[in-house]
Amino acid sequence: MNLLTVNGLSKKFGARAVLQDVSFSVRRSEVLGLIGPNGSGKTTLFECLAGVLPSDGGVISRNKQALAPAQRKSALFYMPDGVTPWAQQSVNWALGFFERLYAAPIKAAELLNMLKLESLRNARIGSLSKGERKRLLLALGLLTPQPLLMLDEPFDGLDLRQTRDVMALLRSQAELGRTLMLSIHQLIDAARVCDRLILLSDGRVVGEGTIDELRAQANLSDGGAPEAGLEEIFLALT
Amino acid sequence: MRSLRRLLLLFSKEWRELTVSRAYWLLLLAVGPLVGHGFINAVNLYAEASGVGGGPAALPQGLTPLDGLLAPTFGAYDLAVTLLFPFVAIRLIAAEKESGALKLGLQLPFGVGEMVAAKLLALAAGWLVAWLPGLIAMAMWRAYGGHLYAPETLNLLLGHWLRMILSAGVAIAAAALAESAASAAIVTLGFTIGTWALDFIAAGRGGWLAAVAAYTPAAALRFFERGLLRLSVVIVMSVMALGGLAIAAIWLHTGRKLGARLLRTAVLLGLISVAVWLGSLSRASWDASENRRNSFPRADEAALRQIHEPLRVTIYLAAEDPRLMDYERGVLNKLRRILPRLEVDYAAQSRTGLFEGAEERYGEIWYELGGRKVMNRSTTEPIVVEQLYQLAGITAPANSDGPVFPGYPLAAHPKGASLVFYALWPLAVSSVWSLARYRRR
Repeated sequence: MNLLTVNGLSKKFGARAVLQDVSFSVRRSEVLGLIGPNGSGKTTLFECLAGVLPSDGGVISRNKQALAPAQRKSALFYMPDGVTPWAQQSVNWALGFFERLYAAPIKAAELLNMLKLESLRNARIGSLSKGERKRLLLALGLLTPQPLLMLDEPFDGLDLRQTRDVMALLRSQAELGRTLMLSIHQLIDAARVCDRLILLSDGRVVGEGTIDELRAQANLSDGGAPEAGLEEIFLALT
Repeated sequence: MRSLRRLLLLFSKEWRELTVSRAYWLLLLAVGPLVGHGFINAVNLYAEASGVGGGPAALPQGLTPLDGLLAPTFGAYDLAVTLLFPFVAIRLIAAEKESGALKLGLQLPFGVGEMVAAKLLALAAGWLVAWLPGLIAMAMWRAYGGHLYAPETLNLLLGHWLRMILSAGVAIAAAALAESAASAAIVTLGFTIGTWALDFIAAGRGGWLAAVAAYTPAAALRFFERGLLRLSVVIVMSVMALGGLAIAAIWLHTGRKLGARLLRTAVLLGLISVAVWLGSLSRASWDASENRRNSFPRADEAALRQIHEPLRVTIYLAAEDPRLMDYERGVLNKLRRILPRLEVDYAAQSRTGLFEGAEERYGEIWYELGGRKVMNRSTTEPIVVEQLYQLAGITAPANSDGPVFPGYPLAAHPKGASLVFYALWPLAVSSVWSLARYRRR
């Protein structure tokens, strides 16, 4: 059952086409990975989907109805990478703000505990390290109620243990019914946490499906590399 | 109810963002001594004019707290709102753009218009706090035995309030349009300097340029400082401020295509121009001054209101001629208030009057009413009014003097003012700022 369908999405910056005829679907309660090299258009795709950047063409639909940019905020929430929102405010305030705003089922206190942010609750957001900030942004994203949560590089800046903990948390959220779309540049992480994957290269979707389906699309199933991993698949498809 | 709660939450967020801004605390720190300086000087000068220490006193009729105390004390806010406040307003927008918070903000359950409105409300609340030194100054003036006339005081406060809203509108629009806070600051300062230049040029040219320049922030504020509440000024200032906020709302919506934003901006600018033009046509005004400096005596006003035909005044005086300035202030501004069909033609060709042509008309003022024309060179109020009675065939009122404004001399010393504004205020602001920083840790 599709939660969202994207058809023919395109975006240019000047003469440079960053997204070209991007089409894919997002299924309910899945963890969908968006993988691709730097500059492949992952962040632009997220920003166009969220409506914080205008696309040049294409349709995003839910239940076969086109979703105008103004309606997107009820369907999805996008957590960007590398932002430091409200740098002078405390972690506690930011979490409390989102919690009160959305009356989310999950509590900020639980997230503080799960993401090991308790000791930082009074810290200024601007003083957090990259990994700490990443965990805070993840907590804020999880406090939002939209059925689809898009996270840009959710494991960037996290150490091995934190990455595993966050993966487990994201999986548990998917099991509870939340759909997650993650932009990941570490293929090994993507293979571990995602149900399905979208491969983006030069602004085009070059593959979509489970690892087995991608392997088949890359013609790596029948030949000499039946156990081909995501790296081989990615290289074969791009 | 839920949406109201959400809006309150948004306002509280903006308030917090304002109160963590160093620029805001520096504004608060600076505004106390600035107001104090204006107040102390004003009280001392007022005392001198009132004959302190047995010195010669001015005529009591010339001693009005609006000119002598309120305008110079609140003049500090004009300085603050021109040079400090825009940076506070710019930061509220620029910080969100630069930190990425805007990307999150655009996805929150608020419209961009609500976001901008919440920022304006937070700025207005912050400005109210900044008014505390001014209000303290007024309380001290009363404690010294000084007089305040509520309508002219409230009118002046309204002028400064509109000045702040206008400044916020310009700064917020600049911050939304510019890439960075520094660029927005340059745009805002450019606007301010541009209006100063317009004021300066218009002072020497007169005509339509002077009519436009009447709505620059500095010139608009002068009406309020004279105790005059002109509807056109209120409308134009409000429209310009709201227009700035609306432009900000358009440009902060980064999800819209550039073409769509440009089109909306063009339509909005058209609407603003029409609204400003319509607003400027309004002749309604109220004289809030206690000494009725913007009005003819009541009996004369009643008599002149009998003139229903258009009155055309043709003035052969150059813009820089002091007689024209006297005539504008003493006669034309008052006539405009009671004769809605007054037309004024500034017919002098030069700026100074020194190099007028050989028509030998320089210095003449012609009045035309119902096909009758008469010339008079006087710029003095009673003579002009008498001339108008003759032209209109109206009998002059028997006694047009009316009650005489008594004036309010006060030879007081600004006791305790230095301590309050130069020591206690900065200390209080610094303490609250430190406490707020400590609590955030």
